[in-house]
Amino acid sequence: MKNRVATTLSRRWSDNLVAFLFTPETDKWLAALRVGLGLQVAVYALFLRSDWHYLFASTGKGLVSRQLGEAITSFDSPLIPKLGWLVAIGGYTHVGEDGVLSIAWACLLCMGVLLLLGLFSRPAAIIAWFLHLCAAESGGLFAYGADNFMTTGLFYLMLSPLPDRYSLDHQLLKAEPRDPQLLGFWRRVLQVHMCFVYFIGGLSKCLGSGWWNGSNLWRSLTRPPFNLISPDILVRFKYALPILGISICLIELGYPFFIWIRKTRLSWLVCILAMHVAIGLAMGLYLFALVMIVLNLAAFGIGMNNGRVASAKIPASGNAERHVGISGQSALGTSPLHG
Amino acid sequence: MASKRIHAAWFIVHFFLIAAVCFAGVFSLIAEGSTILPPAFDKYARNSELVAAWFLGKQAGAHSPFRRGIATYLHAAGVQTGYTFFAPNVPGYHRLAFELYYEDGHVEYQSPHVSGEAAALRLESLLDRIADDQYEPIREVVVKLLALSVSRDRPYLKKIRATFGAVTPPEISDFENGKGESFQPMFRYDFSLREDKK
Repeated sequence: MKNRVATTLSRRWSDNLVAFLFTPETDKWLAALRVGLGLQVAVYALFLRSDWHYLFASTGKGLVSRQLGEAITSFDSPLIPKLGWLVAIGGYTHVGEDGVLSIAWACLLCMGVLLLLGLFSRPAAIIAWFLHLCAAESGGLFAYGADNFMTTGLFYLMLSPLPDRYSLDHQLLKAEPRDPQLLGFWRRVLQVHMCFVYFIGGLSKCLGSGWWNGSNLWRSLTRPPFNLISPDILVRFKYALPILGISICLIELGYPFFIWIRKTRLSWLVCILAMHVAIGLAMGLYLFALVMIVLNLAAFGIGMNNGRVASAKIPASGNAERHVGISGQSALGTSPLHG
Repeated sequence: MASKRIHAAWFIVHFFLIAAVCFAGVFSLIAEGSTILPPAFDKYARNSELVAAWFLGKQAGAHSPFRRGIATYLHAAGVQTGYTFFAPNVPGYHRLAFELYYEDGHVEYQSPHVSGEAAALRLESLLDRIADDQYEPIREVVVKLLALSVSRDRPYLKKIRATFGAVTPPEISDFENGKGESFQPMFRYDFSLREDKK
């Protein structure tokens, strides 16, 4: 009897999980992710244009040493991709280190543009992920949060069912749109990932006294190189700092709960996007702000049903069109987390 | 259906690893005693951090294929570090100053620099990183390489003194009372430049 109940519960749990993971979706979110990450990759390459060789040159030629960063990365695992691999391959074809670094930079910029246009979407996503990972790992000593989010975004993008129907691949090569359930699965992956990001970020901030009295916000905004706003201006708003600090904690901690509820989704998304716009403008963290905005829009913004009943037309592999519910109602039942 | 099962299994493993990385980070902050939680939690947090690290294969030997496999996957997915940015509190920052001694006796003051703002942000990240205890074995090497980058276009340099320290910015009330930031030197290195360099 106990076994039967356990089997039934386990099957129900498994069915609910499958229903949650494979809710059919349109490919609008994927188009947003592709275009957003294409822009991110292009901006990343352009921002580092003048320092690219200086950051990634070998010992004695650059700021620190690419080999040192790669040695630290190799301590974790020698299988992690790095620019040193490309330099070694260049050595076999008589292309020097400078040449390889220039080619890598140019390729990264090209992949960003290809992703923006949606031309050769999947190869572009794979090459962009690989080159960016190589750069992020070789310059691991210089890396910061934006690099991790870019790697994650490109990792999900290259695994997602590209191309989307807004891409040039679809227009020119007549590539077929993919299975809506698979599109739904990869969107779920991105959505759950964002929930982890904000929950952990919010939880760890709540554990620090400085976020409750505003001193952390003051420190964040006055420490170089984030001190774009004069401290004299900040002092004028000192009574708002604790409120803003607490708001950041609550918005981040509440994200994994309120972003799933249809009634609160739009407000929560607007708050999170406003927070990232503020981080970008007030602290100069433009790349970080851009990648977070792109990931949020792709996960919960574009094509989500924010408070109204909607249905989407997804071209099926033939000429016929199928109508599926975007949010909540799926072929497999109602997603347990939708409000 | 088999494809769905494979995808679902990957989803579970993937987010299990992410959860382990994230919670290891949070437990580490608690165990360090840098949170508002009472010290009684420190021991439990340390044990929990060890459990999370065990799931990530960090207790296995450095050459263990299991450990390396997980590390490679985490780096490939960009999830090797948690999401505890600016938490639990925002620390001060660090500064590296060079005193450049020339053969003719004059002294010049410099800091490592890059040309773009995006790279400048990364340089600050490097300085904060090498202040961390876990980077102690490579700290001197990194400082030496930064000194080398400054000395490259200065052929008549004799010696470089590098001073690395922590900067504590003033709190709001201190700032209102006219107090500025304070610099606390942590390490000082002297590098002599050999004749053959010139």
